[in-house]
Formats: sequence, C-alpha cells, structure tokens
Amino acid sequence: MVNRRIAKISAFRYKILAAIFILLAGGLVLLPKYEKHEGINAQELLSNVISPERYISTDILADKLINQDPSYLLIDVRDEESFNKNTLPNAINIPMSRLLDEDSNMYLDQDVYNIVLFSNDNFYADQAWILCTRLNYKNLHVLKGGINQWYNTIINPLKPSENMPAEAFELYNFRKAASMYYGVAYPEQFKSKVVVKKAPPKKKVITVKKKKKAPAEGGC
Amino acid sequence: MKELEKTKRISIATTLFILIVLIALLAYKRPKHLYTVNTAHTLEKLISQDYLISLNEIENPSNVIIDIRSQFEFEKGSLKGAINIYTPEILKDENVAVFDELKEQNKTAILYGTNPSEVNASFMLLYQLGFDNVKILTIENSYVQNKLISKNIEIEKSQGDVKAFIAQSLIKAAKNAEKKIIVPKKIQKKVIKVKKKKKAPAEGGC
Repeated sequence: MVNRRIAKISAFRYKILAAIFILLAGGLVLLPKYEKHEGINAQELLSNVISPERYISTDILADKLINQDPSYLLIDVRDEESFNKNTLPNAINIPMSRLLDEDSNMYLDQDVYNIVLFSNDNFYADQAWILCTRLNYKNLHVLKGGINQWYNTIINPLKPSENMPAEAFELYNFRKAASMYYGVAYPEQFKSKVVVKKAPPKKKVITVKKKKKAPAEGGC
Repeated sequence: MKELEKTKRISIATTLFILIVLIALLAYKRPKHLYTVNTAHTLEKLISQDYLISLNEIENPSNVIIDIRSQFEFEKGSLKGAINIYTPEILKDENVAVFDELKEQNKTAILYGTNPSEVNASFMLLYQLGFDNVKILTIENSYVQNKLISKNIEIEKSQGDVKAFIAQSLIKAAKNAEKKIIVPKKIQKKVIKVKKKKKAPAEGGC
C-alpha cells in the first residue's frame, strides 16, 4: 500500500521539483533590498572611511612624480572646464558625473596603478573615494587638500622664518626645487647666475717647469 | 522491485536537496545595515548639490543639528542645540535609532564637523542607508581663546591658479634678470700669452 502511494507521488516528482525552483526564483525577485545592497557592507565601509590611510600628502606625491614613479596615476574629478583651466601634470579627467561609467571603470577598478583622486579641495575627491570604496575598488588614494594645497605647498611654498627648525628649511628647499621643476622661476635663480659671472674662478695656471736644456756641448 | 528502488532513491535525494536549501537559508546571516540606495543614485544626489546648507539657513524648527566630532571637541564648544554623534559610532543601535526617529518626524538632520570634508563620511553613509533627510552644514570651525568660531565657507573654492602663477613668476624673474644683466661689467678676457720658445742658439755641430 505504502509503496503504491510513493509511486503515485513520484509520478509528479519532476513537477514538484520545478515548482520548488520557481518558488525560490520568485523569492529572489521579491527581495529588491538585496539588489540595491551592492558592494561591501556598511560597517566595513565605515571603518574604511574613518581611517586617514587614503590621504597622500602633496610632498610625497611631488616626490613620486618628480622621480617619475610609473605606478602613480592622477585623476581629476572636477568638471571638464576647470580641468582645462588648470590641473596637475599628466592628470586624467573623470568628472564626478561620469565616475561610474564603464569607461571610467577601466581606470578605477584595477590593481596595477596607485590612483590618486583630487579636486580643488578634498571634498569631491573624498566623495568619489567613498563611492568607489563601497564598490570595493582597490589602490585608491586622495590628495590631501587637493589642488589648493598643491598650489600652497609645491608651487608657491612659504619661506620659513629664521627661528624655525632645520626640518622646515629642508622641506622648503625640497618644495622650492619641486616648484622649479614645474616651471616656477625665482628671481634669485638669475641673480646667482650673475654672481657666477662676476667672479669667475681664477684658473690656476700650473706652470710646468721646462727642462733647461743642457748647454750645448761640443759634439765629437 | 527495481522500479521501486529507483523512486526511493529519487525521493531521498529530493528531501536531502530541500534540507540543504533550508539550512542554507537559515544560516545566511543578514547584514545588520542594508543599503537602500545604490551608488548610481547616490552619485546623482552628490551632483545635485541640494544637500548643502549654510549657517544662516539653519534657523528652522524642523532642523536638528548634529555634531559629528568627538565628544572632547563637542564639549569644548559646539553650536547651539546640537547633539553629538561621533562618526565612528554612527552605526551603533542607539544612534541609528536617533536618525530613524528624525526621519519619522520629518525632521532634517544637519551635520557639521571641523570642516565639510570631515562630514562627508557620515553624510554619505547615512544617505546610502536610506536616510534622505540629512544635510551638510558648510562651515569651518576653529577656536579663538577656547571659544568656537564658525564661519561659512564655499566648498571646493579654487584658491590659486597654478598656470597663472608660473607665468607671473617667469615675467617677474625675467624683469629681474634684465636689470641684473645690464649691471655686470664687462669682463676683460684674460689674454694668456703664450711664451714663444726661444730658439736655442745654434750649436756647433760636428
């Protein structure tokens, strides 16, 4: 009797299985919240966001750029107009509005380059960073202080006053050299050249003593 | 007999399969905080810029001011009527409850910190979790003699034009150089006299 009942049920076995699968698939459709829940979870995002690890200072960046570190790629997240007006050397423009496009994805979602995002300050760059971090993109950095900080430290460094520590002077010298690298001219550059002209180092004349010729001796 | 064994096997397999699915469903840990806004929508919001508010617009009974700095900073000085919710603790149950309540009462949460960049983290996290009633106060806070001074600032204002500065420095330097180039005296070339070899007096040969 029991066997016969099982046999009866088993006649429908494929239909029952199909029904179960359809139910499960329907369950996925009914969970729109999960669909929107893309990227890393909120707790993880928070712990990433509050750490200042992402910031790179203008001095370090300038050092990397001048030494032509090939692993650094600069991305300007401002609009095209400001990008054309002024930007950092060799930067690529990805405006915020096109941040999640497929073309931009190629630059942002990779693990070859160290990407440095920047804007005028670090407000928009931070926002771009947070969005990309939620999508779990790696190797992203933010230029601390953005172009304004770049301008104030690298392009137009403030001369330290007399009573400042030696490190401040070292830093100033580095920044000044960096600014010269990027084309800023200093008046004293020319002065120093003139000074060199005024007092040319005296050439030392090395007198080679001539061998005195031996007085003529009578031959034979 | 053989047919019966076959059906037995199939039914065992089916029950096992269903059991596994059930266990998986039960074991799946639902993340505590779910995003309700995806990144594309968040980006739209960011571009719209309607989440920024300045200091003279906050006088409104439906606004609640929230200080996202640490407790120490908050106690040192804060805006009038502000609540302190430190950014790293924003996902704690009691803090999320605060935002839930504000949303229910249709109130706007206005976040501020030392500067607007600092608020970004809290703002974006809350917005993506579905709290669309949060805004950023665009102020910069500093202390003068332990008194909090807040002033409005313009976000992302360009402070200096790099290209213009370089061009100007070149002009300046060129002017300076012109002056300097006229000044230097002509430097007389030193004439190095080459002493002629005196011919040795003729020597008597053989």
